[in-house]
Amino acid sequence: MRQVNLTPAPPQGAASSGDVARVGLRMLLALTLSCLAFVARTVPFLLVLTAIDLVLLWWLRSGQLSLRRELKAFGWQTLVILVLYLIRFQDVTGLWAGFKISWQLFLALLPSMVFVRTTSQVRIVQALNKVMPCRTAFVLSTCLKFAPNLLAEIKSIYEGQVLRGARILPRDLTKPWNWLDFIHCVVVPAVVQGMALAGNIAVAARARDFGVRPRRTCWPGA
Amino acid sequence: MNPIAEPADGLFRLSLKEALFIGFCAVFAVLARVMLRLHLHVSGHAMLVTAFFLLLARGSVRYRLGASFAGLLAGSASIFLGFAKNGPFMLVKYLAVAVVIDMAGLFFPRLFRNYFWCALVGGCAGATKFFTTYAINFLAGMDREVNILNSLLEAGGAIAFGMLGGLLVPVVLRRLKAYGVIS
Repeated sequence: MRQVNLTPAPPQGAASSGDVARVGLRMLLALTLSCLAFVARTVPFLLVLTAIDLVLLWWLRSGQLSLRRELKAFGWQTLVILVLYLIRFQDVTGLWAGFKISWQLFLALLPSMVFVRTTSQVRIVQALNKVMPCRTAFVLSTCLKFAPNLLAEIKSIYEGQVLRGARILPRDLTKPWNWLDFIHCVVVPAVVQGMALAGNIAVAARARDFGVRPRRTCWPGA
Repeated sequence: MNPIAEPADGLFRLSLKEALFIGFCAVFAVLARVMLRLHLHVSGHAMLVTAFFLLLARGSVRYRLGASFAGLLAGSASIFLGFAKNGPFMLVKYLAVAVVIDMAGLFFPRLFRNYFWCALVGGCAGATKFFTTYAINFLAGMDREVNILNSLLEAGGAIAFGMLGGLLVPVVLRRLKAYGVIS
């Protein structure tokens, strides 16, 4: 049986209640800005929100790469909306309304995207503990933590099956009749592995008295 | 008695092992969605993995709200990992799909072994994209006709891919049952 160790959290995991409060504040700020974008109907309001978002970007030190990705998504979304508005109104004046909608949608999504890319997962999970049931927060954080392990297992299953001659290489998967092979050779063993890993983690957690106390379910705790 | 053995699971109680398995399904739904987004630009294609993993999560456990729990975890994971194109609305999107699956599972508990029913439920789950897209655009004040067109465009692909995702579930569940992994 595969052994699973619940390794202790890295030093950054020991968050003070001030840290958790700061993350909570950022989360609240992102949600407020998103909600404000939906009620912004005028250009000055949208400009003010854009300026606030830019200040937020600077404050959270979001990388240039992150912003480029968001702008790419914005460009694609704007294109689709503009085409639809052009079809609907068959007039260039409709384009401005379409652009405003796209701008508004972008401002609604940007704050939360910036928040999640600039805040560590550990801090987010510790903040989550305050708003989610502890058991759910534990399951979420554990699954996120062990997902790379499971991905590595799946990769080795895939490589093993390729060596055995399974037709699951990318070029084989362009043919739909090979998809069943992929399911039988990779998906089913991966699900079985996931079940086994879940069982091992559950045993390890219960051996550490998980669930004995109603609140404290993760180490070092918040 | 084994001191670390878990209490028996049931229709209304989720064991830790099952909760973790559902959690893995949720995380994979998010990760696979991200990978697909990188390679394809087909509207609604992410519904393939969403429907597949949420149906799998519900079909593998007896817990009646398995898909909703997976949806909640997947939505939270995608929001907090920064994979959510729609920010907090991602949670609503996953939950809408999950509620359809749970409702279907409530009325037809044996649907997860049947190709037709799985495809139908996958398609219905995909159709929720119409409502979520419409609601988001409506909140932003989009013109009604454009909104309907845009939502239909999004939902059409999602229904097709949802059906495809649903079709894959009975194959996997049958194999899991044959191996004795699920009862």
